[in-house]
Amino acid sequence: MNRIRKSMEKIQATEELKQSTLQYLEKQREKTRRIRLYAARRFVLAAATLFFLVGAGGYSVYRYPVSFISIDVNPSIELSVNRFGRVVSTKAYNEHGMDVIGQVPLKNMSYMQAIVRLLENESYRRFLKEDSYLVFTVISEQSETIVGELSGNALFQSYGAVTYTSDSSCMHEAHQHDMSFGKYRTYLELLKYDESVTVEDCHGMTMGELQDRIDNCTHEGKDDGEKKHHGEHHEKGHGGEK
Amino acid sequence: MRSAEEINFAVEAYADMVRRICFVHLKNRHDTEDVFQNVYMKYMLYEGFFENREHEKAWFAKVTINACTDWLRYLSRRKWVSLEVIAEEKEVLDHTSEELLDVVLKLPEKYRDVIYLYYYEGYSAGEIARILGRKENTIYTWMSRAKDLLREKLGGEWA
Repeated sequence: MNRIRKSMEKIQATEELKQSTLQYLEKQREKTRRIRLYAARRFVLAAATLFFLVGAGGYSVYRYPVSFISIDVNPSIELSVNRFGRVVSTKAYNEHGMDVIGQVPLKNMSYMQAIVRLLENESYRRFLKEDSYLVFTVISEQSETIVGELSGNALFQSYGAVTYTSDSSCMHEAHQHDMSFGKYRTYLELLKYDESVTVEDCHGMTMGELQDRIDNCTHEGKDDGEKKHHGEHHEKGHGGEK
Repeated sequence: MRSAEEINFAVEAYADMVRRICFVHLKNRHDTEDVFQNVYMKYMLYEGFFENREHEKAWFAKVTINACTDWLRYLSRRKWVSLEVIAEEKEVLDHTSEELLDVVLKLPEKYRDVIYLYYYEGYSAGEIARILGRKENTIYTWMSRAKDLLREKLGGEWA
């Protein structure tokens, strides 16, 4: 045995050192467990909070409407559309309209799908008669895109529908009178020629009747055939430039 | 985290070696106790896999040496060990051992590691190189210089 080994042999870990180390480790083990448990709880809490915030934030963005489409014939129905082009809410302005949106689910569909579904639905088609005047009024920063899509739709064309654009102040005023902004825009147009007309008068009128009044005022006789040619006509409504 | 059974085994198996490495590095029992506990704490938290007991033992040697070095660096103490540590072991050491260890503990730190691992633990130069993370040739050089220093202090028959 070499001298170094022999000299060092008696240098040993005492029982006291071993026991104190084991006790120390046991305390540290408990402490580490508590820290890990605490960290795990914090992580779960943080993850849940993040999930909630992202989820809630995303849901808020999804629910927030950026475009509005008023579909008027009689009844009047408004679609609120989010930035993803999905219908997030619908509103009807008379009993017939309420019946229709009660029977035809439109929410969460793309606005074109929703419109096609509406136009194809039997409960709505009963209002689309030969002399009906179907008007789509759009409020949106992408109104040209929406109007373009509508005008290009075969079903839209088959009903000889017309499109207008409007703005949020028109919508605000319309809603104060419990009227769709599409119908209210037509009322404002009529008001230009006939100052005696009131919103209350218009409440009970169909879009066809309102348009007839406008045509009469502008001395442009209207017959069914001519009305069809109003299709695809597009002009600025109340508020002018958006 | 390693189980209490694993730790109990490791304390029984490697405590003396850890204690001796601390002895050749540290100044007193208080430091030794701190580093000793620190080494076993590292073991308790170590998630790695040991191929066998030899691998585990070498891990302890390496971790203890590093822990001692870190401890000394942390305390900014001198790297030369005083006689205090030997005085603390006076009860168990005879005069010859005391004299020899006094010289060994005055060697530069890197030489102390080599001398301990080679003469006490019986590691080869290659194994010491792996534990210390040095080239084998470096270990041979250190060992040669350490032997020269010991021979100078203790005479030709020191080992």
